[in-house]
Amino acid sequence: MQTGTKISGAGHVAVILFALFAGSFDSEPLPFDVANVSVVTEEEYAALTAPQQAEQQGAEPQPAEPVEPVVEPEPEPEPQPEPEPVAEPEPAPEVSPEPPVVPDPPAPEVAEESQPEPEQPEVIAEPEPTPEVVAPPPIERVAPEVVEAPPEDTRPDEVEQNEVVQDDGAETAQEVQEATAPEAATDRIEPETAPQANLAPSQSRRPPTQRPAPRPEQPVETAETRPEPEPAPVETPPADPTPAPIDTTDAVNDALAQALGGASETAPAPSGPPLSAGEKEALRVAVSRCWNVGSLSSAALATTVVVTVSMAQDGTPDVGTIRMASSSGGDNNSARQAFEAARRAIIRCGASGFDLPVDKYAQWREIEMTFNPERMRIR
Amino acid sequence: MKRFLLSLFVGLSCVTTPVLAQNGPLRIEITDGVIEPMPFAVPNLVPATPGDVQIGADLARVISADLSGTGLFREVPSSAYISGINDFNAPVQYADWKAVNAQALVTGSVSTSGDTLTVQFRLYDVFSNAELGNGLQFTGSVQGWRRMAHKVADAVYSRITGEGGYFDSRVTFVSESGPKDQRAKRLAIMDYDGANVQYLTDSSSIVLAPRFSPNGDRVLYTSYETGAPRIYVLDVGQVQRRVLEQKEGTMSFAPRFAPNGHTVVFSLTEGGNTDIYTMEIASGEIVRRTTAPSIETAPSYSPDGSQIVFESDRSGTQQLYVMPAAGGEATRISFGQGRYGTPVWSPRGDMIAFTKQSKGRFHIGVMRTDGSEERLLTASFLDEGPTWAPNGRVIMFARETQGAQGRSGLYSVDISGRNLKPIPTPDGASDPAWSPLQD
Repeated sequence: MQTGTKISGAGHVAVILFALFAGSFDSEPLPFDVANVSVVTEEEYAALTAPQQAEQQGAEPQPAEPVEPVVEPEPEPEPQPEPEPVAEPEPAPEVSPEPPVVPDPPAPEVAEESQPEPEQPEVIAEPEPTPEVVAPPPIERVAPEVVEAPPEDTRPDEVEQNEVVQDDGAETAQEVQEATAPEAATDRIEPETAPQANLAPSQSRRPPTQRPAPRPEQPVETAETRPEPEPAPVETPPADPTPAPIDTTDAVNDALAQALGGASETAPAPSGPPLSAGEKEALRVAVSRCWNVGSLSSAALATTVVVTVSMAQDGTPDVGTIRMASSSGGDNNSARQAFEAARRAIIRCGASGFDLPVDKYAQWREIEMTFNPERMRIR
Repeated sequence: MKRFLLSLFVGLSCVTTPVLAQNGPLRIEITDGVIEPMPFAVPNLVPATPGDVQIGADLARVISADLSGTGLFREVPSSAYISGINDFNAPVQYADWKAVNAQALVTGSVSTSGDTLTVQFRLYDVFSNAELGNGLQFTGSVQGWRRMAHKVADAVYSRITGEGGYFDSRVTFVSESGPKDQRAKRLAIMDYDGANVQYLTDSSSIVLAPRFSPNGDRVLYTSYETGAPRIYVLDVGQVQRRVLEQKEGTMSFAPRFAPNGHTVVFSLTEGGNTDIYTMEIASGEIVRRTTAPSIETAPSYSPDGSQIVFESDRSGTQQLYVMPAAGGEATRISFGQGRYGTPVWSPRGDMIAFTKQSKGRFHIGVMRTDGSEERLLTASFLDEGPTWAPNGRVIMFARETQGAQGRSGLYSVDISGRNLKPIPTPDGASDPAWSPLQD
């Protein structure tokens, strides 16, 4: 009787506690979503999009094309980087949310990894031809909208070089300087412009993390600018580009260090996401299909060998790098037979390239395969 | 609840951490492979002169048959070749052989000078673009060209599998002809693949259980020439024989050489009791090794000569026992259902082959020397008399079909139970005994 009572009591208590705690957890998450989403982002984007549209279509109404600005902001960020060493500190904090891609910039070591950086430099390098006043104008464009004056919309057009400059020049040459006046308004806008510059390059170009991807985006000048970025620093921009990447890489490294528990800069391989279980399984199955142990001696069938191989980016093994790292369970002769069977498996099924994700090449550039024939012996 | 959440968080962290913290090379473990014959190619050996073309083709054919006959290799037909081998010393076009999926390539050259035959060969691991081992050269008589081919095949087999070959070996057996009730038997010897059959005795008397000496130069067998079973030793090269010493009023049978080649172990029946004895061939000294009132027979030495396995019905049924070579307490090693007999110790020393009769069927099986890991490799109306190949990987035995017109023939099977196949003989055959590799 007492036992039944205790069990019943404990059960009721457990149910009550569960109900209390379960309810308390559900209530918290709600406030987070509401506040952030509604307030900040939309207004800023609206302000940003209006001037950009004006640039393209001139006097067209702002609301008509809110989305298009997303495409245009790219040209805008280009001029910004040079004039604003100040604006660069901003990208750093924004980059942090995307540490996985940025870490590649350890590029300073390897040319490949430097690609992600060029993305930022791209924006920086292009400005070179437009060092005139291009940098400040983009900031102005945002500012006028904050005031929300339709005539101000025309100013952003002026900022974009040709049409605006000519008109202003016709009136008074010094009014151009007035255009610089809006710079005062840029102080407010700076945080807005910064996000624009960061969003475009960071999100869209990071995932590729590969050279070919960014180049096609700006085929004409970018291709040139990328090789140029390095010589460019010699003249003027050097100060700008260099500090920017340094900041971002530091931030990324810090983020990685926290996430991965201290990943070293000298380990380019671990960069990027690891292979999924499915991808590993696919590789394992691919090798297994060619691992023929039918001709092995019983002694070799009792020998486990660990084989290392370097892979080419197209998924084919570098035959010359296939090595037996270790063996167990048999003598040297058995180990040699087992290794040769393993090597044949790697070469045969890897001849046309294993199906491995190219974007994770750093993860499978070096592969260590353990060939354990224990289950095959039973058969 | 907090503890639960905390432990959940820690648990998930432990699970995800290894994934994120992949350092060094990508590591995978392969435990499942495939068991299938390895494709190989043996183009005709390059002849030194036009007159050597035929023997070059014959050599290639025998080499290929040896390798294919193991079940471990599969020949790529010559019709699939993209390029041939016209120069033994020219670089191999690996791409052409890869294209036909030949994983191993054997190239060779042949030349004859009078009665002397010279064969050279190389083995290539095609997919590794490398030669496997060094090239070898054999020299012998033209008449012995098949042995040359067997030797090449042995070398290829050994390099790929890591085990010794068994192609350059011979088998002695009892050739049988006529119906079962009037069957004529005579002793014969042949190559392991059934070629070059020679008869060592006539069919005037019954002969049984031939056994090779450790170096293959002599054969022990039992003959009823005098009406009672007696043991003879036959010099294979000279085809000369002599009878071993025997006590009056006894029957001797089931002889087998000790590893030293000087001692013979056999069964001797005296006074209705059968026990195991040994005899020094040179002196004729006989020593009794078992003293049980039951029937002990079919003795076989371990390769190191320290133990003897034999069959006995001392437990009431026919079972296998192991005892020290000098005699003493025997240990039973077979405990399965049915009757066990004709045990033979593997040349490797790790297994014992036997005949098992169970539920009206006969089986050839193997087990560890302690009786563990028993595996039955065959099953038929009558399978018996296993004998080991020199490398301890293949077993040959006799199989007899059912009925008055039933025929006895020889078969071989891999110890894995695969590759069961008949051995061609001109007539019926039984009681095979495999020789060691020839010098």
